[in-house]
Amino acid sequence: MSRRPPRGEYIETDTGNKVARKATLVGTQNIMLGGKTVIQPDVMIRGDLARTIPPAQSASGGPANNTAVAIGRYCFLSKGCILRPPGRMYKGVFTFMPLRLGDHVFVGPGTVVQAAQIGNHVHIGGKVVVGEFAIIKDYVKVLDGSVVPPNMVIPSFSIVAGQPARIIGEIPEGGIEAFELRDLYKTVGNNPQPTAS
Amino acid sequence: MSSATPSPGPSSSSAHGHHKRHSILPAVSQSGPKPPVQFSSSCTIADSALLTGAHTIIVSTESVIHPRARLESLGGRVTVGRRCIVHERACLGAADLQGRYHKGSPDKEGRSMGAVTLGDYVTVEVGAQVESGGTVIGEGTTVGIGTRVGAGAVVGKHCTLTANSTVAAGEAIPDYTVIYSNGLRRVDRRGVSDLKNKAQARQIDVLRRMIPSNPAKFQ
Repeated sequence: MSRRPPRGEYIETDTGNKVARKATLVGTQNIMLGGKTVIQPDVMIRGDLARTIPPAQSASGGPANNTAVAIGRYCFLSKGCILRPPGRMYKGVFTFMPLRLGDHVFVGPGTVVQAAQIGNHVHIGGKVVVGEFAIIKDYVKVLDGSVVPPNMVIPSFSIVAGQPARIIGEIPEGGIEAFELRDLYKTVGNNPQPTAS
Repeated sequence: MSSATPSPGPSSSSAHGHHKRHSILPAVSQSGPKPPVQFSSSCTIADSALLTGAHTIIVSTESVIHPRARLESLGGRVTVGRRCIVHERACLGAADLQGRYHKGSPDKEGRSMGAVTLGDYVTVEVGAQVESGGTVIGEGTTVGIGTRVGAGAVVGKHCTLTANSTVAAGEAIPDYTVIYSNGLRRVDRRGVSDLKNKAQARQIDVLRRMIPSNPAKFQ
């Protein structure tokens, strides 16, 4: 029992992030993880598609803080999903804008997210496509297989489905606790704890 | 409970990084035979692109192949036109849903059609699957995220196939068609083809500087 522990499937950082070894994170300098975030295998995050135009005069800093993808706390990226910053023509030059995820965001398996901003406590199902520059507000549930068209704004507390995605309902009063991802975070990793029943 | 393993991994901290972190990508296993390639000198092929197959793969001037894109020439030759963009996890020359690689039937002069032919200014987005077997994607078309183009389909010029749409095998799509929702079609009458081509050229200028190209790896 004095040998090194075997290489687990996840790398656990000191801020509590659990990143799978088989996840593909390109351009990790530009990816910010909030803490206690789970990234499962086969996830791909394109951090190399960063903004080329500097936002303000930060001559001393240089390209030190050029965030392409910013993820909040307790996020859960399921297997095979892809996060990629949206890009468009801005002032005559093609540039990528940062993709910002809030806290407690669940991204289902096989989903492609190219949104500009996703709020807190959002549940995105599997095989969803979130188009470029979409904005998803807080407490939203996007059902499996939806296609959110580019530039769509989804207001808070809505349930969204379809292709193209339409608002089909509202989150009921007691449905807010279902968005918490703290328990899900504990079930994943090298020492998974059983789900609290 | 959660122990921090000492191995150096792609860990990202919430504060600004002091030292330069390297992107440690898991090794991409290049399974399958290494295909003969013809790359233009100005094209951008990411290091972790996946090129397999027996037939030639041609990538023309100023085209961009993102990391983890797949170009499979098992069913025939794969031709990528000028100024095309192939995003990650897209597959040109894929097998159909039963796992078969179709070979194209010969055209009128008896020459064999390549597996997949992309015109100029085509964009193939994340996870799109363009099946092999004489499939032709016309100039300026955008194949959306997760779209599946069947074997032998001929898609016209400047079409827009939105996300998760399907084109049946052998189908011919007229020019300027938009396929949206669950198979609905309409005609795009905006007349913005030239503007889209110019925007694509600008996008390629930026992508060429961002994606480190390594064509020598595949030659």
